[in-house]
Amino acid sequence: MVHALEEIQHLLKPDGCLIDIHPVPKSSLINVYQGSRALFAESYPPSDGEDVRQAEAALAQVVQRRLFVIERSGEFDLTTFASSVAELREFFAKIDAYDDGPKDDALEAQRTAQYARVEEIMRAAGDGAEVAFHERGRITRMNPNVRKEELI
Amino acid sequence: MTIKVDPGNNEPRALFDLADFNGQRVLEIGCGDGRLTWRYADRAGHVTAIDAFAESIARAKENIPDELKDHVEFRHIAFEDFAAKSESSTFDRAILSWSL
Repeated sequence: MVHALEEIQHLLKPDGCLIDIHPVPKSSLINVYQGSRALFAESYPPSDGEDVRQAEAALAQVVQRRLFVIERSGEFDLTTFASSVAELREFFAKIDAYDDGPKDDALEAQRTAQYARVEEIMRAAGDGAEVAFHERGRITRMNPNVRKEELI
Repeated sequence: MTIKVDPGNNEPRALFDLADFNGQRVLEIGCGDGRLTWRYADRAGHVTAIDAFAESIARAKENIPDELKDHVEFRHIAFEDFAAKSESSTFDRAILSWSL
């Protein structure tokens, strides 16, 4: 990851910037809505967050080495809506297909149990219910740390 | 109903709050199926969006809006390979899109 950040610094113009977006660990929620009414809200069973920890360590390292300077950062909510649990799971399965990390069977079992509860609530609610997956993203602008004379 | 991701546009709003994309030359690393790319590309001068996964890039190419075709280039390539073949000081903006 640090090597990738070094390469990015190389590819950026001296007055350019890097925008990093990554998830905030343990921030995800699942909701069921019917119109504006929330029928269900629960934390989504979190992964161990190791990938995010590694990403944040890499970012901290390049800042410490003064390759980049953090200019600003913030957080935002990203919500994904689906009309069924199956649709939501299919969507995430496509994304997770690229995750080459080790599988955690206990975590998968917790998530499957939660999806079953969500499905039950949606079935009972009938037409118009939708499931929403909320996650929080952290966004950071980092500028290459160049000498002033390079900008002239 | 199809899947709706970020219907409130919170992610592009956060992006535009941090950087100006008007006329900029942008590299997006880990663009996936182009979900975020579509939301800023109309402002950019040129976008090179890369991803190491062929299926994602195929979906992005398939779904690219006509009006963006002339200035968005999707490439199936790993970042290390892309960096090795690219010249330095090429891009105004680089985006690591949930991909570091």
